[in-house]
Amino acid sequence: MRCAESLRVQAYFDGELEAFSATKSERHSERCAECRALLRELGQVRSALRLDLTFASAPPALRARILGALDGESAIESPRRVSRLKSWRPQPFWKGAMSGIAGSAVAAGIAFFVMAPSFTNPVLDDLVGAHVRSLMPDHLIDVVSTDKHTVKPWFAGHTDVSPVVSDFDLQGYRLIGGRADYFEHQRAAVVVYQHGAHVVNVFSWAGDQHGLPRNTTRNGYHLAFWKVDNLMYCAVSDTAWDELLGLVRLLQELGARDLHPRLRPAALD
Amino acid sequence: MDDRRQRFDALVMPHLDAAYRFARWLSRSPDDADDVVQEAFLRAFRGFDSLRGSNVRAWLLTIVRNCHLTALKQQQRRGFVPLPEEHDADDGEAMIATTPAPESTSLRRDEERTLERFLSALREEHREVLVLRELEEMDYREIAAVTNVPIGTVMSRLARARAALKAGWLKEADGEPHAVR
Repeated sequence: MRCAESLRVQAYFDGELEAFSATKSERHSERCAECRALLRELGQVRSALRLDLTFASAPPALRARILGALDGESAIESPRRVSRLKSWRPQPFWKGAMSGIAGSAVAAGIAFFVMAPSFTNPVLDDLVGAHVRSLMPDHLIDVVSTDKHTVKPWFAGHTDVSPVVSDFDLQGYRLIGGRADYFEHQRAAVVVYQHGAHVVNVFSWAGDQHGLPRNTTRNGYHLAFWKVDNLMYCAVSDTAWDELLGLVRLLQELGARDLHPRLRPAALD
Repeated sequence: MDDRRQRFDALVMPHLDAAYRFARWLSRSPDDADDVVQEAFLRAFRGFDSLRGSNVRAWLLTIVRNCHLTALKQQQRRGFVPLPEEHDADDGEAMIATTPAPESTSLRRDEERTLERFLSALREEHREVLVLRELEEMDYREIAAVTNVPIGTVMSRLARARAALKAGWLKEADGEPHAVR
């Protein structure tokens, strides 16, 4: 029999509680041995899944087949015509029944995804564009390394900035390399981390008088911004927010230490 | 290439890997997953004009899941019900990335296979929420939308899925400290 608080503790673990409930849940777990054990188990299951499973990406043949099918589809004036589908799959065994069900699902789905209207900010578009491009084959990394002592000097020769670089493998963010991107009229540095199945690109460039953009979500990618001195940072990924912000926190602490070695990171924000 | 298609390629195609991963965990075989993903992309393309908001990935995975369910129903209607939870060598291999990290050892690979087996053995409704939460790193609201159930149901399924996985997998890993982190 589980403690009655177990679902709330799980929500706390998943980063779903706002600050007040999170504090309450923390206090409860301090008192309740069962929920402490639960938190430990949840952590074990998570690291097992994220660290021990590697992740398949779509086979190139499938990608090609889909692009081909879309080409065929684009060529059809009426998007509902089904006869053309015969060419892309010898046995499309469900095609008849599909249209109604999937159609209504799409309709039901969209009601849910009305989110904050996207405002126009070219920087955001550039960042998302650069992130998406980096996910295409062979675009991700210029210098492959899990060693910050290799990545950081590489930036010195190839970019205009010198961002903080570190491997956070223990915390679940593995350093996999670096890249130079032309961005905001300069050679920006991009540090690339792997978090489970997800790639996190951390862009950095010399800031100007413009303010810091607010954290936002575009096309399914989260963008988290921060600034250390006059160096702008943006972490982009399709991880959950709390996962992305976990890396941001680590980098902020590191940046604060580099900048003010004698101050504790908590004293700066 | 027309404008609509370009927007689709820019917005939706980047989520192909996520769609494929999700389909692989839902489907019984890699071939089924390929078919489901391809069908989902065609459906997504046709419904693309109705997409509002920015959560393209959740929208796409909703369609993937619906395509999977429809395919499953069709198979059952035809009397072709695949053997449950059968794992041959090829099947397991296909879930593993083609380029393993250099430090991968056979030990690590064994762990993967074991964990994969337990994850596959979960009931589908449990497996899908766990995959969406832990591997796709979606929040409760997104998972509720993709799986079309209330958030409360997501929470209880997630709890059961985690407990079931832990009961099976961590028990087996007992006495092997490397498997428990």
